[in-house]
Amino acid sequence: MPVVEARRVTRLFPMAAGPIAALRDVSLRVDAGEYVAISGPSGCGKSTLLHLVGCVDQPTSGEILFEDRDVAVLSEAERSRIRLMRIGFVFQRFFLLPMLTARENIELPQAEAGAAAADRRARTRELLEYVGLADRADHLPSQLSGGEMQRVAIARALANRPALLVADEPTGELDEQTGEQVADVFDRVHADGTAILVVTHNPALAARASRRVTMKSGSLVS
Amino acid sequence: MIGRALRATLIALFLGAAAASAADSPSSAQPPGVLLSRQLAARARVSVGDVVTLAVDANGARGMMVRVAGIYEPTPDPMRFTAQRLEAHMHLPDLAALVADSADPAARELASAINVKLVDAHDAGPFASELAARAPGVIVRPTSRTRDDDPFAVLDRFHVAISAVTVVGATAFLLALMVIRAEERRDTIAILRLIGISRRSLLTAVAIEGLLIAVMGAIFGVIVAVATESLVNGVFQARYDTALVFVRVTRSIAVRSIAIALPLGLAAGIGASWPLLRGQILSLFRR
Amino acid sequence: MTSLGLAWRSTKRYRVRAVLAVIGVAIIGALLFDMLLLSRGLLDSFADLLSSSGFDIRIVGSEGVPIVRFPIDGSTRLAADLRALPEVRDVVLIRVERATAQVNGRTPRDVTLVGTTQTGGGPWTIVKGTNLPSASSSSDRCLMLIARRLAAALGVVPGSVVDLSVRPAGIASALPAIACRAVGVVNFAFAATDEDSVATTMIALQDALGLQAADADLVLVASRPAVGSAAAVRAIERLRPDLRVYSNEDVIAQFNQNGFAYFRQISLVLSALTMTFAFLLVATLLTVSVNQRLGEIAALRALGIRRARIASMLLWESALLVGGGGLLALPLGGLLALALDHILRQMPGLPERLHFFVFNWRAVTTHLVVFGMTAAAAAAYPVWLTARLPIAETLRREVVG
Repeated sequence: MPVVEARRVTRLFPMAAGPIAALRDVSLRVDAGEYVAISGPSGCGKSTLLHLVGCVDQPTSGEILFEDRDVAVLSEAERSRIRLMRIGFVFQRFFLLPMLTARENIELPQAEAGAAAADRRARTRELLEYVGLADRADHLPSQLSGGEMQRVAIARALANRPALLVADEPTGELDEQTGEQVADVFDRVHADGTAILVVTHNPALAARASRRVTMKSGSLVS
Repeated sequence: MIGRALRATLIALFLGAAAASAADSPSSAQPPGVLLSRQLAARARVSVGDVVTLAVDANGARGMMVRVAGIYEPTPDPMRFTAQRLEAHMHLPDLAALVADSADPAARELASAINVKLVDAHDAGPFASELAARAPGVIVRPTSRTRDDDPFAVLDRFHVAISAVTVVGATAFLLALMVIRAEERRDTIAILRLIGISRRSLLTAVAIEGLLIAVMGAIFGVIVAVATESLVNGVFQARYDTALVFVRVTRSIAVRSIAIALPLGLAAGIGASWPLLRGQILSLFRR
Repeated sequence: MTSLGLAWRSTKRYRVRAVLAVIGVAIIGALLFDMLLLSRGLLDSFADLLSSSGFDIRIVGSEGVPIVRFPIDGSTRLAADLRALPEVRDVVLIRVERATAQVNGRTPRDVTLVGTTQTGGGPWTIVKGTNLPSASSSSDRCLMLIARRLAAALGVVPGSVVDLSVRPAGIASALPAIACRAVGVVNFAFAATDEDSVATTMIALQDALGLQAADADLVLVASRPAVGSAAAVRAIERLRPDLRVYSNEDVIAQFNQNGFAYFRQISLVLSALTMTFAFLLVATLLTVSVNQRLGEIAALRALGIRRARIASMLLWESALLVGGGGLLALPLGGLLALALDHILRQMPGLPERLHFFVFNWRAVTTHLVVFGMTAAAAAAYPVWLTARLPIAETLRREVVG
């Protein structure tokens, strides 16, 4: 059963010199519990595809179905709700809120979802232990290493038990060893049944996926 | 007394003007001339050459025919710019003929004030003292005011105080902006320091930047002030029907504004960037 | 965490700029608060001064505001007629003359001599001694109250004797001095700060003028509360159409129209300017702050945080800066008002009790409302910026950048 499906999507970006096609007629399906890695050269459209699948962008043509719902007909508020409850985002640059502690960063999406304070606390504790950072709960992002920040970001992405975790170059800012720690967390998330779509240049991370997709010049090549 | 007589007369003027116009029969002898303020002429709808009745009493009693010899713009008086300048000027003998009791010979002595122009204006103080001593009962006052006693000197001090407060507020604003600018360039400053650019060079650069922003702001402020000067004056002149100039951006004010902005800009530029220039280079790189 | 909590954390994170913004807003806000106080202060103070005399109607013999005054013919008879009116509760006759005061042959000083029929109280406050007794209760022909500053200069205390010589304006006179005994040292409500004043009874003033009966140049009337001043004014005008009768409200209205116009205008202009300034300050800081955090905001939106939540956070940030500054502006404005009032009160001829900046709750309320509106307006552009933020494009740009 697909969590998300891109059907013949094209994404054009208007430019002064004429529109540029970041994606051309691309179709991709991610099933529940599947772990898919997209790789390819810079500028091939990987992140654009990730953004479409993650419901933060709309295709110029084609359609995105998230849990069988056509994303194009949804309002921004409904898409926002899907992102909050069903999708978890992990970014290359972490984007943790610098003024909040690790615990508060993880609690934020839960608070937005309306979870009770006690439930939030319990879930956050569980997630911090899950990513091995129980002892760093009250540290600000500036007091964490890059790998720790990314693990907090993964915990934040998992806060509302999403069906799909999308990650854009999650090891892009990390060294090899730290990248492996993050990859280990992804393995555990996958093992727990959450679908993962990861865009990466890192062959080691891509190798851990159950399916690997390669892109070139806005199209899937394998 | 003059003020009182004229105010009463002015009321009668409206009635009188209408009556003269209806009668349309000027007397053969030329009536005495009178100058009317622009505001009064407009209010009474009379023009130069019109013959109108000027009366002491509001009901037109004790009046005389006068000819409007001219219309003048009253000298703006900042002390009473809100007052309606409904005024008329006439020769003292004509005024005496109009208001004085003919049965009382002393009544023609109705001058309420005498203006004296001295050969040397600096003698005003001693002259006033001497005249007051020689003519008991006469109030003698120099027209020039002492600087401290002048209401406008007080208002000047008030404006300067407000300006000072505004400058302090603006400095906080400028400093906040410069702090943000410095924060934005934290990485750039870190890199520049890392490759060996001296603190002195960086300090000079941020000082010049602060200076430029402050001077540009001050120049822009002066331009805005000059551009709005006529607008402000126009609004208030129309509102109070006066030729008084309310705002005047002089060269000295413009220069003073820019001169105040210079050190403030310099201080804000250096003050905001100092923590970045002083700290350890590696601590500047964001994580 | 609530939007307020997020805003607070954000403000704390950028504490230097936040503190500077709060200081800037507080200073500008203090100026706004003062302009609000000034917009009514002088008028309120003037009204307070007028009502402090306990009389709500003024009668003068000449046209215009009751400042330049001429004696009212038959004022004693007028007072009796006025007392007979059902609308009138009390009547006081006043006459003001220039005089010289001399003690023990020292250099005489020019003073303002007020003759009044009001005894046992008046527009003054006793500092030392007692009030003027009623005419029947004292054997002294001339008793007087003396202004504190003048008393100190002349070394006069209650019981001292002062020689007073009236010098009527505009005529040569050589009236003999009369000896008056000071019964009280007072602060006169209507006297200018630099004015030396003494007050005595109308009878003593008549003696000083060498007249059998001196006409008053000002009649103060207290209307009966049940009737009100307007009805009493009409009744007095019917009684003596040749006189000018003003209720306190009329005098205040004239003052508002003429003498107060400058301060009304400057307070209006400066209020508008200060608010524009505060708006620009906060709007600029918030906009720059939002521009610096676009990546964070796009990430939050990608995580499903609603626009409304982010807008609310920005509004709170604005409210914290403007609110913090606005609240700080109140005590700061109070102190600044004292300084500005001190400057303006150096104007010549102002009564000692007249103030330009008078505290009133309406000014506080207006100040808070205006600041609330400024906070909302200042946050409007940054909120709009975040509301239309393209998430994917911003994330892409942040990564590339």
